[in-house]
Amino acid sequence: MESVRFNFPAPQIDESVDELRKEVRAFLEEEVRSGGFTPVTDCWCAGIDPEFSRKLGEKGWIGVTWPRQYGGRELSALHRYVITEEMLVAGAPVHAHWIADRQSGPLILATGTEEMKQKILPQIAAGKCFVALGLSEPESGSDLASVRTRAVRVEGGWEVTGTKLWSSGAQQCQYMTVLARTGERNPEKRHDGLTQFFIPLDSPGVTVRGIRDMSGVEHFNESHFEKVFVPDDAVLGAVGEGWKQITNELALERSGPERFLSTFVALEKALQQGAPNMSGHQAAVAGSIIARIRALRAMSLGVAALLGQGHSPEVEAALVKDLGTRFEQDIIERLREFWPVRMKQGYGDELQNLMADSLLRSPSFTLRGGTNEILKGIIARGMGLR
Amino acid sequence: MGFDMEETDQLIRDTAHRLFTDQCDAETVNGSECGEAPERLQKAILEAGLTLAWVPEAAGGVGGSLALGFSLIRQAAGFALPVPLADTLVANLLLAESGLEIADQWAALAMDGGELPVLVQGKVSGVVEAASGMPEAEVLVMPVTQGGQIRIAVFTPSVVDVQHHESLAGEARSRITLNAAVPDQLSDPVDGMTADGLGQFCALVRACQIAGALEKMGELTVGYVKERQQFGRPLGKFQAVQHKVADIAGESAISGAAVEQAIRMISSHPAPFDGSMDILLPVATAKVVASEAAGKVPRDAHQAHGAMGFSFEYPLHQYSRRVWSWREEFGSEFYWSERLGMAVASEIDTHGSGKSATRAWDVVSR
Repeated sequence: MESVRFNFPAPQIDESVDELRKEVRAFLEEEVRSGGFTPVTDCWCAGIDPEFSRKLGEKGWIGVTWPRQYGGRELSALHRYVITEEMLVAGAPVHAHWIADRQSGPLILATGTEEMKQKILPQIAAGKCFVALGLSEPESGSDLASVRTRAVRVEGGWEVTGTKLWSSGAQQCQYMTVLARTGERNPEKRHDGLTQFFIPLDSPGVTVRGIRDMSGVEHFNESHFEKVFVPDDAVLGAVGEGWKQITNELALERSGPERFLSTFVALEKALQQGAPNMSGHQAAVAGSIIARIRALRAMSLGVAALLGQGHSPEVEAALVKDLGTRFEQDIIERLREFWPVRMKQGYGDELQNLMADSLLRSPSFTLRGGTNEILKGIIARGMGLR
Repeated sequence: MGFDMEETDQLIRDTAHRLFTDQCDAETVNGSECGEAPERLQKAILEAGLTLAWVPEAAGGVGGSLALGFSLIRQAAGFALPVPLADTLVANLLLAESGLEIADQWAALAMDGGELPVLVQGKVSGVVEAASGMPEAEVLVMPVTQGGQIRIAVFTPSVVDVQHHESLAGEARSRITLNAAVPDQLSDPVDGMTADGLGQFCALVRACQIAGALEKMGELTVGYVKERQQFGRPLGKFQAVQHKVADIAGESAISGAAVEQAIRMISSHPAPFDGSMDILLPVATAKVVASEAAGKVPRDAHQAHGAMGFSFEYPLHQYSRRVWSWREEFGSEFYWSERLGMAVASEIDTHGSGKSATRAWDVVSR
C-alpha cells in the first residue's frame, strides 16, 4: 500500500469492557490506598514487583485474550487494552509480566509446541512466569539482522552461543526468547537464516548480569550464552523464519498505550496539584497535552480495532509509536515551565519525584522497541519512498 | 434503515469524489482566485444535491447523517474546493434544525465564533466580522440570540451592510453590520442549541477541513519527492526527506484520528449543538490537534517541495494557505487548549475519596 490516507476505526466498546475498567480501577485504588504499591513513572519498564504480578494473575488480568485451555479467558484485545492502560496511568509495577503478556505469550501461541503452550502459558497467565527479550547484542542494535549469537545443530537439539544486551528485567525472568543465526549469512538476503529459541535462563552455560541505567534502575541486562544446549522443541516456529516472526511481533507491540502513557502519572499529579488555582496559561499547556493524548489514544485504539478485524496496520502502528514516544518526552518538557525539575528521587515531593524520574527515563522512550528513525523508515516505505 | 442510510451515504460520497475529480482541478482553483468564477463546478454541486446533505428528506434534502456531511467537507477540502460547500451545508443544517425553509441554492453563514447578534423586538443588531460564503449566496443565515435562546434569522444578502474581505486563502470572509434589521424569516427559539454549541460545531467543521487538506498536502509531497531528481536520484531516496514525509504522515494521521473521533461523538449525540462537556472534549481535541498540525505540515511540505511549492502555479499553496486560515477560525489551538485545560481542571476533584474522586484520567479517557 502506498497511501497517506489512514483510517482509525472506532473500537467496539461494550458493557463488559466498561465493567472490566471499573473493576481494574477499583482494585488499583485499593492497592494504592493500602500501600500495595507506590505509583512510579514508566512503570511498564521501571516498576518490577513479582508479587504484584501474581496478584494480577489471580485476578485473571494477564493473558486475557488467550484460549481458556492455556489459562486465558478468550476476551477481546480491547479488554486487554483497558487493563493495560489503567495499569499505566496508575503507575502500577507491571514490568515483571509485561513482555510475557504482550509479546512472548502471543508468540508461543503462534509458534510454540503444544507442550510448551500447556506448560508455559498458564504460568504466564498466573503471573508466575516472566520472559525477557533476547534481541539486541553488543554489535547489533537497530541493525538487528546482524546478530552474531549462533545456534548450531547438535544431537537432539541446538547449542546456543552469544551475548544478548539490554534485555529488560531478565534477572526476574525464567525464560528468554533468543534470536540467533542458524543459517549462513547471505549478504543478498540478510534476514534469512535467523531463528528464535525459547531458553530457560537456569540452563547450564547462561549468565545474566544486571546493568544500571542512567535513571538508577537496574532493569537492563547483559546475558551470555556459552554453548547452551536446548532441545529441538525450544525452536519457536520454523527454523530460519525468525525474522518474519520478530517483525510481526514488533508490529503488534508498537501501537499500545505504553507508547504514549509512560509519563502520564507525572501529568496526573501535576494536574491534581494545579487544578484548584489553574491560570489560563497553565490550562492552555495542559489542554494542548490532553488533546494530544486523546488523539493518540484514538489512533492507538484504531490500530487495535484494525488488528481485531484481521488487518496488518504496520504503518499506522509505527505512526502511533513515533508520535507517542516523542510526545511522552514532550509532556515533561512542557510541565517544566510550571514545575522545574531539580532534585533526584528522594527529595520528598511526590510530583518532583515523578517528574525527575520521567525526565531521567525519557531518553529510552524513543529508542526501545525500534528507534524512531527506524520507525520513520517504515513509514516512508509505506508511502512508497523506499 | 441503518444499512440503507450507509448505502445512500456511500453513493453520495462517491458522486462527490467523481464530481470534484472531474471539475475541480488545480487550474479551476487558481482561476477562481484570479476572478474566473467556477460556474460549472458550482452548478454541478447544486445539481448533485451536495449542499442538501444535511437537510431531511421531508424538507426536500438528502437526509444524510452528520457523518456524511463531514465526509463531504473533508473531501472538498482535499480539492481546495473554491466554492463554499461547507458553509452552505452548515447554513442549511441550521435552517433545517430551526424549521425554516430551505432552497436549493448557495447560502452564506453569518457566524464566526464571536458574539452572536442580538434580537430585540424582532429586529437584529450586531456585527459579524467574518461571515463565509457571501459572494455566491442568495440567502444569509444568521444565528441570533435573545435572552440566552438561539433563533435562526434569514436575510437577503443584497439588503444588508456588507464589507467584503478575503481570508489568507482568498476565501470570502465578509463583515456584516446590522442595525435593527428586520429578517426575512425568523425561527422560534431552537431547543438544545447554544452559542457555544454552535461555535463547537463550526470548530469541528474547520478541523475536518484541515484534516482533508493535510492529507492532500501529504499526497502532493509524496508525489513530488518521488518525481523530482537531484544528485542523480529522487528526493524521496534521501533519508532526511523521508523523515519529513513521515512527519507529515504522522501529523496528518493524528489530525484525522482526532477529527473522526469527534465526528463519531457528535453524530451519535442527541443534541449536537448544546455545547455539553461530552462534545467539548472531542471537539476541542480535534481543533487543537488539527490546528497544531496546520503549522507543522505546511512547513515540512514546503521544505520538501523547494521553490516549486512556493510558486502560484503549483497547487501546494492552495492547501497551506487554507489550513493557515482555518486553524484560526472558530478558535485556534491556543483558544481551545485553554478551554480544554480549564474544562478538565474543573472536573478534577482530589478531595473526594474512592468512587467520588475524579482524576484527570477519568476525564481524559471519557
